Amino acid sequence: MRQRSTPRPARRPPPPSASAAAPGSGPERGGRPKPGGSGAAPEPRGRAAHARVGGAAPGFLPGAAAPARGGPQFQPKKRTRSTCASLLLGRMTDDKDVLRDVWFGRIPTCFTLYQDEITEREAEPYYLLLPRISYLTLVTDKVKKHFQKVMRQEEINEIWFEYEGTPLKWHYPIGLLFDLHASNTALPWNITVHFKNFPEKDLLHCHSKDVIEAHFMACIKEADALKHKSQVINEMQKKDHKQLWMGLQNDKFEQFWAINRKLMEYPPEDNGFRYIPFRIYQATTERPFIQKLFRPIASGGQLHTLGDLLKDVCPSAITPEGVSYLGFNRAFPAAQPCVVAFDCSSYTPSVPV
Amino acid sequence: MAEDGEQAAVSPQGEAGEEAAETGAAAAAAAGSAEPVLPAAGSPGTEEPAGDARKKIDVLLKAVGDTPIMRTKKWAVERTRTIQGLVDFIKKFLKLMASEQLFIYVNQSFAPSPDQEVGTLYECFGSDGKLVLHYCKTQAWG
Repeated sequence: MRQRSTPRPARRPPPPSASAAAPGSGPERGGRPKPGGSGAAPEPRGRAAHARVGGAAPGFLPGAAAPARGGPQFQPKKRTRSTCASLLLGRMTDDKDVLRDVWFGRIPTCFTLYQDEITEREAEPYYLLLPRISYLTLVTDKVKKHFQKVMRQEEINEIWFEYEGTPLKWHYPIGLLFDLHASNTALPWNITVHFKNFPEKDLLHCHSKDVIEAHFMACIKEADALKHKSQVINEMQKKDHKQLWMGLQNDKFEQFWAINRKLMEYPPEDNGFRYIPFRIYQATTERPFIQKLFRPIASGGQLHTLGDLLKDVCPSAITPEGVSYLGFNRAFPAAQPCVVAFDCSSYTPSVPV
Repeated sequence: MAEDGEQAAVSPQGEAGEEAAETGAAAAAAAGSAEPVLPAAGSPGTEEPAGDARKKIDVLLKAVGDTPIMRTKKWAVERTRTIQGLVDFIKKFLKLMASEQLFIYVNQSFAPSPDQEVGTLYECFGSDGKLVLHYCKTQAWG
């Protein structure tokens, strides 16, 4: 497990010539939205300050869990399987601060035009705070406009992004891309912008926002297929699906979670989700990601932990010191039950190990 | 075409003769005795995947709506083949234009990403030893 040398990205004020535009098509904002009740950037909760890493695919587990907050520990009266699981789950869904921290995570980024792109005058870099949970092509309209202003129309093709020679897959959440490629480097994250020579073998095309929406919804559906045999997502109306997407696109936490909450529920008589939707990404391998069936509850009735998950599907990631995961902006101890981790990280892919 | 349980050990390389003429397939099983196998996945220069990844999985392709039905529905596919690779193969098989769209669905509920590997989908959504995929020229399940 890599330790990050720098703590969670602090928000730096952008230089005067650039604008730190809000992500997506939401209203212009001067900076990071403040989670309820606190003006300071939230610190990672729980024990040690492990590196924060995260990535997400909607509906998937990050491999991270928030430790339970301070306050009275919940003591279930009877240790039945369903009671235990649903109580823990209920508790974490109530912990909105955790959910907000995940949602509002940002990465300060500097976009620079590739030197070989042909421009009519010099292109200044563009600074932006990127939301970890979103997608590059969804939140970079202003970046595109900024560079296109200094280019001729005929030089402009589909935009694509690259970091130190690696094309960045727009269909991976931004937080995941950062954690996989750049988590050990100093901020801001320096991304190179291209308008030519689209790398067909490495990247999917993204000709419109509809493509992003389709990908996002497919992830949500795949996750629900694992959690609920698609029952919850299929029972929803089209407008509910749309609300999930609009919540993401417009950076509206409440709007998103009003619907996502239903995807995170399960009736107490069922012992948790059928399978935990997760993906484990590793920077050290050519394999795209690990995704397997994994039940939240072991045969003995106890909740599987993140440590159990890793041992089962990715044992090579476990070091002698044990493992700690990083989810969106927080570290999660390996002993944390998967179902809890999953809940507070909502859609998350697993994280680089 | 016979669909017995046997799997071809090795993917045939290149075009098959009369099979290709009839079905448009780029690959075909040896005379009916083994399951049809897709041409080897990966472009030139790709390394041979090790161990498990070389084992093939069974994929059953089902047409949706008025999409043409494939004569051969059951295929043995390398785990590392992507959905995009499968789409290209089906399009070629059905003699569709490259510009025509083809959508693939798992569990009749979601469309996996083009770069997703069939092996992973089989692990998570396979049943009775095979992965059932529905294909359609138009969007079927959103």
